[in-house]
Amino acid sequence: MSSAIIIEDLSVNIKGKDILKNINFTLEEGHFLGIVGPNGGGKTTLIKVILGLLTPSSGAVRIFGRNPELLLGKEEIFGYLPQHLNIDPNFPASAVDIVLMGRYKKAGFFKWPGKKDMEKAIGCMSLMGVENLKDIQYSQLSGGQQQRVSIARALAGDPRILVLDEPSTGIDVVGQEDFYHLLKGLQKKMNLTILMVSHDIGTVTAYVDEISCLNINLYYHGNPLGALNENVMTSLYGKNVDLLMHTDVCDKCERLRTP
Amino acid sequence: MIEAFGSPFMQKAFIAGILVSVLTGIISVFIVLRKMSFIGAGISHAAFGGIAIGFFTGINPLLTAIIYSIVIAFGIESTSRKGRIAEDVSIGIFYSVSMAIGIAIVSMSKSYNVDLFGYLFGNILAITKGEILLTLITFMAVTSVIIIFLKELFLSTYNEELAKVSGIRVKFLNTLFLVALSVSIVISIRVVGIIMVSALLVIPGAAARLFAKSLLSMIVISCVVAFVSVIAGLLISYAYDIASGASIVITSAVIFFISLLFKKKI
Repeated sequence: MSSAIIIEDLSVNIKGKDILKNINFTLEEGHFLGIVGPNGGGKTTLIKVILGLLTPSSGAVRIFGRNPELLLGKEEIFGYLPQHLNIDPNFPASAVDIVLMGRYKKAGFFKWPGKKDMEKAIGCMSLMGVENLKDIQYSQLSGGQQQRVSIARALAGDPRILVLDEPSTGIDVVGQEDFYHLLKGLQKKMNLTILMVSHDIGTVTAYVDEISCLNINLYYHGNPLGALNENVMTSLYGKNVDLLMHTDVCDKCERLRTP
Repeated sequence: MIEAFGSPFMQKAFIAGILVSVLTGIISVFIVLRKMSFIGAGISHAAFGGIAIGFFTGINPLLTAIIYSIVIAFGIESTSRKGRIAEDVSIGIFYSVSMAIGIAIVSMSKSYNVDLFGYLFGNILAITKGEILLTLITFMAVTSVIIIFLKELFLSTYNEELAKVSGIRVKFLNTLFLVALSVSIVISIRVVGIIMVSALLVIPGAAARLFAKSLLSMIVISCVVAFVSVIAGLLISYAYDIASGASIVITSAVIFFISLLFKKKI
């Protein structure tokens, strides 16, 4: 098994302010990592460095052994779901048009996606259970549907690492849990490495293999249950945090969960 | 009105008008989707400074205005990026200063025979053969740049970060679009005038967005709206002796509001 992501002594300092400080961790291929921490704790910055969009002040990042900034534009390793997808209510694209954007790179310069790309796009949509929405205008879909279409878009480029920045924003709790199950399924089915930023530590711990607790420094990296101790929580969120746990056994709701 | 097509003046006006309408039709789609209408208005007003420099130096004002407006476009971009000022503030400063410089130069040169009114509101009778050629070259350059980078432009319009992750050089693309926009604005000045060119940059795209389901259909609808506005506007301008800019913009506005009514019914 090779390491998908290796981060060594990573620091990011913008205009004299530490955004990330001495971060070290390794993520093996096929693992599901949750990154949690308060707003302003550097979660999105860490993602940008991993994607190669931001040069670190010091330290090194290796994606399958290579520098992410050099990978940018050369090889498609990442499927990315940005945090904000506030889309214009009249943006002229159907759901499948959006998914096809994930094939632009593969289609090549000055060429639009062809029949093969369309088959791939539809395949990814059915994987996400949104194939029936393909001809509907993307902007008219609900938040949850848009998110599934966006993940289909991210998967369409055959990525090895899926990066999701706060994917559960704007989705109700029940929808969120279905969504995490879906991700878990993808991880297993496609041997996908998944990196997910979330502020909802309670839910995330039930689904991920590893967790990183980030607040400028990396306070914890490892088994998700180990993060739920008072010292880590205090470093992240301050004192007196009430944690709402979500596990597979839920006595409050009577919904049956399909594995 | 039929004789309008026979007059050599009008023939030149129609050729320039058709090129300008397709050009602004395409550009307008991205202006609307990228919410750049204010920068369009800013660059077109700033172009006045460039035109005045042309008057003063005796070089064709459209040529000086092209260079001047590209410089201004970059000025707006870099001050709002590096100087930590909001872009609308930067646009507000650049365009009013440019117009002030323009007016100062025109009043200094004391050449009252210059066709100031024509540049401000459009004067199709003044279009020369050389300017038609310049329009044609610009038309071909700008449309081919947009066609070549169409899917990259579309993706970066949808989401810049996503475009960067998929390896698109977003900064380069934005610069290219800004140059294309500046050049298209100046080329449209003869037909619609400085004051009203921004309407032609916004209205066709805005009308198209009401109905379009895909990028391609939005471009087609936008070009049709611009084309009909320009041709009908030119004919009205000829028939009633109105400045062409005014008749074109009023026509396009009428099309827009009719579209809005239709959209509500659907």
